[in-house]
Parts: sequence; C-alpha cells; structure tokens
Amino acid sequence: MTSPIKSEPFVINIGPQHPSTHGVFRMKVTVDGEQVVDAEMVIGYLHRSMEKLAEERTYTQNIPFTDRTDYLSSMSNNLGYCLAVEKLAGIDVPERGQAIRVIMAELQRIASHFMALGAFTNDTGAWQTPVMWCLREREKVLDLFEMTSGARLTCNYMRIGGVAFDIPKDFEPATRKLIKTLPGFIDELEGLLSGNEIFLARTKNVAVIPPDLAVNASLAGPMLRGSGIAWDLRKADPYCGYEKYDFAIPIGYQGDSYDRFIVRVEELRQSVKIIEQALDGLPGGPHSTQVPLALRPPKGEAYARVEGPRGELGYYVVSDEGPSPYRFHIRPPSLINLSVLKEMTVGGSVADAIVALGSVDIVVGEIDR
Amino acid sequence: MRVQFLATDNWYDLRDLSNLSSAILDGLDKIAPQGVVYVAAALIGFVAAFLIFVLPSQLFVGVLGERKLIGRIQSRYGPNRVGPYGVLQPIADALKLLTKESLTPVAADRLVMYMAPVLFVMPAVLMWAVIPFGPNMIFADIPVALVYFLAISSLPVLASFMAGWSHNNKYSLFGAMRIVAMAISYEIPLVLSLLGVVVLTETLSLQEMVFWQDRFDIWLFAVQPLAMIIYFIAVSAELNRTPTDIAEAESEIVAGYLTEYSGMKWGLFYGMDIGYALGAAAFGVTVFFGGWTLFGLEEWVPAWMIFVVKVWAFYFLFIWTRGTLPRLRIDQLMSFAWKYMLPLALFNLLIICTERILWTDAFDGDKPFIYLFAIANIIFAGLLILGWARLLGYRPERTQTRPRMVQEAGGYVPVAPARGEGR
Amino acid sequence: MTREWSGEELAAAAERLVPGSVARITSNACYLKPETLVQTFTALRDDAETDFKYLANLCGSDYWDRFEVVYHIHSFDKNQIGLFKCETAERDEPVLPSVVPVWHGAWIQENETYDMFGIRFEGHPNLVRMLLWDGFPGWPLRKDWLSMPGGLQPGLNEFTGVARRQEPPVRRYEE
Repeated sequence: MTSPIKSEPFVINIGPQHPSTHGVFRMKVTVDGEQVVDAEMVIGYLHRSMEKLAEERTYTQNIPFTDRTDYLSSMSNNLGYCLAVEKLAGIDVPERGQAIRVIMAELQRIASHFMALGAFTNDTGAWQTPVMWCLREREKVLDLFEMTSGARLTCNYMRIGGVAFDIPKDFEPATRKLIKTLPGFIDELEGLLSGNEIFLARTKNVAVIPPDLAVNASLAGPMLRGSGIAWDLRKADPYCGYEKYDFAIPIGYQGDSYDRFIVRVEELRQSVKIIEQALDGLPGGPHSTQVPLALRPPKGEAYARVEGPRGELGYYVVSDEGPSPYRFHIRPPSLINLSVLKEMTVGGSVADAIVALGSVDIVVGEIDR
Repeated sequence: MRVQFLATDNWYDLRDLSNLSSAILDGLDKIAPQGVVYVAAALIGFVAAFLIFVLPSQLFVGVLGERKLIGRIQSRYGPNRVGPYGVLQPIADALKLLTKESLTPVAADRLVMYMAPVLFVMPAVLMWAVIPFGPNMIFADIPVALVYFLAISSLPVLASFMAGWSHNNKYSLFGAMRIVAMAISYEIPLVLSLLGVVVLTETLSLQEMVFWQDRFDIWLFAVQPLAMIIYFIAVSAELNRTPTDIAEAESEIVAGYLTEYSGMKWGLFYGMDIGYALGAAAFGVTVFFGGWTLFGLEEWVPAWMIFVVKVWAFYFLFIWTRGTLPRLRIDQLMSFAWKYMLPLALFNLLIICTERILWTDAFDGDKPFIYLFAIANIIFAGLLILGWARLLGYRPERTQTRPRMVQEAGGYVPVAPARGEGR
Repeated sequence: MTREWSGEELAAAAERLVPGSVARITSNACYLKPETLVQTFTALRDDAETDFKYLANLCGSDYWDRFEVVYHIHSFDKNQIGLFKCETAERDEPVLPSVVPVWHGAWIQENETYDMFGIRFEGHPNLVRMLLWDGFPGWPLRKDWLSMPGGLQPGLNEFTGVARRQEPPVRRYEE
C-alpha cells in the first residue's frame, strides 16, 4: 500500500497587474493542485481619499468626484449624489430634468453592462471577440454622451436640482437610431454566447450564491437578482419618475455566473425599453431648478440610493449648514459584492476563480474611492 | 500512378520542382568528390521544403494573415500600419524581437531555459521532411512517414515543459503541468483516428496515401469524417490553440509557460507555434484532403501550388475556431478527451475495420463500394457524435438561456420545480 | 415606495423586542446602546414585523467628542428602511461590538470604518485595515487628522474648510 502523494498548497497572487482582474485588484489565492483552498482580497491600490477631500469642497464641486469613483457608470454616480443632496436640501427637480436623468442613467447602464459583459467573456477565454463587439456598441453610447455633456467617460452632467445643460437637438434622432439597432445586436450577442456549449460549461454552476447568503451578505444588483431575489430599486423605491415607465426585472435561477450573465443581457433590453418610453414622453420646460452657488442645506443627514449597473449605490451625506458636507460616504456596491468572494471561489479551480471575479463586475475606483 | 503529367523532365520546368533539384544534384555528382552530393541533397531539401514554402507561409499567412483575420472576426482591422495593408508586419516583428533584450530571471535554470527554444524549433523543421509537396517532391519518402510524424510531433511537449519548469515561476509551472496533462490525453485519440486511415489504405507512407486517394478518386475526409473531426480537435489541443489553449491562457495565468521569455526566445516559441500549426495542417491535408491532388487538376496547375493553397485553407479553420470559441477548463478538457473522444475514436476504428474486411473479402476491392462506405460513414459519424453525447448526459433543451421576468420588486422568488434539472 | 421609519417607530420596535436597548431618539434615527447592540439587531432581523434582513449601509462619522456608526437596514418583503446609530463613549480608544454575526455584509464595511476612524469592533473575525496599509500613521477620516507630514494644511486657502481647521471647536451635534 503506497502512501498518498504529499502535496502542499501554495499561494498565487492574482493581480494587481493582470490581464483579467478588472483594475488594480489583488487576490491572494491559496491553491492545492488546481483547487482553490482559500481566497483573500487585497485592495487599496487606488485609494484616493475622496471622502476626506469632499469635506473641503462645496456640494457642487463634489460632483466630479462622484464621476471618478465608478468610472464606468458616471451618470448613475452623479445621480445618486444629487438625489442625496436634494433630499437633504428639499429641492425639487422639474419634470424635464427627471426625464433626461432617466435617459442618461439608462444609457449609462447600457454602456456599463457592455463593458461588464465583454470583460466577463474575456475572462472565460473567448479571445476578445465578444469584447470587441460589445465595445463597438458601447462607442455609440459614448458618442451620445459626448454630444450632451462633452465627455465620454466622466461626464459630470447632473447637477443639484437637475442636469447641467439641456440635451442638444441632435440627441433625440441619434438616440432613436441607436435604440432601433441595439436589440438586434443584443440578439446577436446572445446567439453567440448564451447557447454556446463551451461558454455554458465554463459558467454554469460556477460561483453559486444561494439566496439566503446573498441577502445576508448585503449583495446588490445583478448578483442579487441572479440568485432569484426580485429586488430593483427602480421598482421598489422609485426615484426620478421611474414609476411612470413600464419595464420588468430579470431574475436568475440559482445564482451562478451564467445567471448573472443572462440577467445583465436582459437588463440591456429593458433599458432600451425605458429609454424609448422616456424619449416618447419627454416633457418641455426647464431642465433644472436654480440653486445657489454655495448651497447650504439645513442641518441633517440623508441617505439616497440609486440602482446603478452594479447594484445599490448609496450616498450618505451629513450637513452642518456649511457650504461643504460634514460627512460624505459612498456605499460602494462593488466592494460589498465582494463579501462573498471566499464562498464563491473556494472549492473550484483557479480558472473558476477568475470567472467568478468577472461575474461580480467590480470597478476598482468604486472599491477604493 | 495514374496521372500523366504535362511536366517534362527539363530542369527549368518548375511545375515539378524535383527537376531542378535532380539537375543540381547530377551536376554536383559529376564535379564534387564522393559523398558531398548527400550533404547537398540535405541542404536543397531544407531550402526547398522549409525556407521556400514553410517560412514565408509562416510569416505571411501565420503571423499576418491570422492577425488580420482575427481582427476581421472581431470587427476591427488587423495590422495595417507597417507597409501597405500591413504586409511588412511580420518582418517588423522579427526585427523587434531580435533587438529585444532576452531577460533571464536570476533564480531560473539558465541551461534549460536556453535549451527549451532550441528543442522546440528542431521538430518543427524536421517534420517537413516527410510531407509530400508533389509527386516527386518529397524530401524523404520513407515507408513509415506517419509514425515518424507522430513521433516528431510529441517532442514539443517536452520542450514546453522544460520551458515552464525552468522559469522558477508559479505561473509557468502551472502552464507546464497543464500542457503535459493535456498533450498526453489528446495523443491517444489522435493516433487512433489516424490508425483508421492506415487500416483502409494499407500503408504508413504519406505519399502512398495521396496515391490511394488519387486512385480511388475520393478524399479520405469523405470516407472517414469522424476520423477527420477527431484529428482536427486532437491536433488543436496538441498545438495549444483556442479553445484548448489553457497552457497559454492569457487571461488566467499570464502566458503560462512563456511568462519569463522575452526577445527572440519568445519569438521562436511563437513562430514555431504557427509552424507546428502549419505542419499539422499540412499533415491533415495530406492524409484527409488529398494532398497535392485535386481530382485531375494537377495536370495543369503545379502540384505544390495546390498543396500550399490547401494548407492555407486548413489553417483558416484553425484561425476561425480561435477567433470564435471561448476556452475550456482543464478538467473539462481532460474529461472531453477521455470520455468522449477516445470512445469515439475506438468506434471509428471498429467501423473501419469491419468495412475493410467486407471490402476485401466480399467486394474484392472494387472502387464503387468505397463511395457506399463513405455515405455509410457519414451517417455513422453523425449518429455517433450525437448519440454518445446524449449518453454522457448532454441535454441542451434543458438550459434556460433567458432569465425569469418579474414586474414587482420583493423578496426571493423560488424557482418553479416543474422545469426539471438544469444541465 | 420604501417606507422610512421615523425615530420613534424604530425605538418602539427595538424596545418591544429587547427592552432597555435604546439610548436616545431623534426624528429620523434611533440610537442604540452598545451593550445590547448585537442582540437587538438579531431580534430586528428575525422579527416578522420589522424583517430587517438586509444591511444596506454601515459607516462611521466623527462628531468631535464621540464617534457614531450608522446602520441603514431594510427589508425586502415589507419594503421599509430604518436608520440606527450607535455612539462610542470616548474618543481615544473607541470600541463597539461588531454586527458581523448578524449580517455577513458588515464584515467589509466594518473593516473600512476601522481603517478610516480607528473604531475597533469587538467580535469581528478579522479586523484589518482594508484600504490603507498596516503601519499607516493615524486614522484619516477623523476631523483632527492632518494628512501631510510637517503640518501642511491640505486644500487651498480659499476653500471652505480653513475656518474649521484653525482650532478644533468642540461642536455638539444635536437636534
């Protein structure tokens, strides 16, 4: 009887420079053979102390900060912050401003999901073909952003009380052209990937999160919906007039990476539907209310949240009647979605750990702030 | 040999390049001392087979063509800056790699690290010795060419493992282990599929196989489609091409066994990767697709031209699968090789042997029955592939590709159990 | 719409479940006592009427003479949200019980609060500094922390924070 082969686990460092961790993110994975025994994350490579810096600047000057936390979904970030300050100061946004905000937020969701889907399929090994296709479509959305706000990525478009500028004349025809072609492309992407045997083999039953764990670990966004929990802030706690639009929430079956993938693809379709309704019902009127340059909200605190592409993006703002916030805290969905990193990766192989990380859809700017 | 060639025996008739080489060798035999002619023959063979045909194909079709084609699949242009339409890109790459510093980590094993690229290049050059480019254009027409080829094509695995081991780097070790496991698993279906071909054509020599296909006017691909498919998949796995390129999985282990190579050492690995792919394509074309024959066209068009075009077409299949498919995990690859490909290869062998016995004993080796066997084999191939997959538990109709949709937000919505289990 | 519970409602629910757990009440928040914090939260999570199963946000604030940790918790099925707070008794070595046994999602957020403020959470399985490194001098988000060595003031003089930095005024943050 031979003795069993002795093997000892060793630690691999995945990141911070790695072609497939989405940003400067480091994961220390303890591996025994090909199986993961332990996973631990090390973050802080992109920490820019935004929360402290925000205490030095006025409320309006903080809006570009929020752009740069989750740099792939800057419109949603801006929106969340503006909602928090408006709640604090009791400012109402006119109808046109709200409709424009909805259009921008949904366009941003489309752009961010394209990036997320592309990066995820890149992790599974599809040699950059889906990435290139998704980024090609994303370019069209970024062109719209550039037309409206002047910037492609960090748009800095929302202001407290509305939006910065009204939408230009060319925006509506260009957006209508885009939403006519986009569902065809989403079908093409689904045809390439959703039924693909190899893709299914890579993502099915990988990184399963049961629904109880999902709720207890404060997950949000497609991670929560992939596990079968029907929670979407646009339906549950509507802001900016979302209750007027008719759309559905996709939820998954068992909470594996494949479910999160199909949830994100379906959310693209629903976003297109919302944009179409918002464009059809775009009211006239002013696009924002006038607020004083050095806004001094009354004493108090407010917590406002939006459904960003990655989940519940919350802003906790405390005011002490000064021109700048007393405390400014961002609740980052990517960071809290990583609470279950260990549960997702332990037991699988290294390749599965990469796929699991890709399905969480992290943006390190938001994790580190 | 049935075909009468229009090519004459003049030394300037380039439709049959052996005219040129035999003219040179005859001339040398007269003027040089005894034995030099053998060295000259070796050199001419090397120049003709490798430098004239293979290296340009490798550079222009392999490096440039692959990158441009993959770019087109990904809706972008490939390289198009260096020279018109990017044709000088491979030369620019080679020059850059030559002038780059070849770093060697301090803790790495220097001797093994230097030897590994050499050991990698050597089989790539040797392999072209037995590939027939035309009726007289084969460097070494040995009667066991197939076995020689299979033996040579196992050497790169050793070289890759040496490369991965010598880096003293965890990622490289991962890559090396994965390569060895995968290459060993996929050798067996590869050999078994070729064994079926050998049984039918009664020969191990590649030139004889081409003549067999010429004689019976049918390509072996049509007679044995299953063997061809198994060969294609197994050889892509041996070559570490996507969807089976886990050894060099860029998104997971950052270039695997090539992590610490830079400069021309890396360039040799990369170039010879393409060289092996072309060699495997050439082999596949010779055995399954008729080699240098094209149903009689070789009377007018030079045989080597037909052959090279066919090799490029087969290589296009490699490029196509690389650009489209995601990558499999190592344990999925192993189970695919052992549980799926190996039984299919065995079934293929069984069917071929039965048909061969039937053919010689019952039908006396008549030609029309080959076509019957071809049709029967195509049907068998389809049935086997689908049937064996279902036997192993493949149920595509049970996968949900669309999520459930709800209108109201709330808590957990349990999955309705009537759907049956997922895959 | 999500129903936001007022301070009195929250205090009533907390008192009903765990008597003696409420320290003080404000209009939109309920301050809990640190001793019974975990017990109260467990009861609030498991109770059928409050059903606060989801921890939305956990962060800290510095109010010059004490620290505060805020907990935004809400319920999916009942669609309601509540704001609980817990104050530390002192400023130099603030200690609070950890709510990781109640919600797993508090793990990372408590690490971050410890990193930024220096509040130790007792009962936390692995309290490390998440965003900054182990030997970092000080706790950055405290109001009396100057970021640069040598006493340089961060920010330009014409920004608003200068008035606060001249001497730390002891402000009581009260309703």
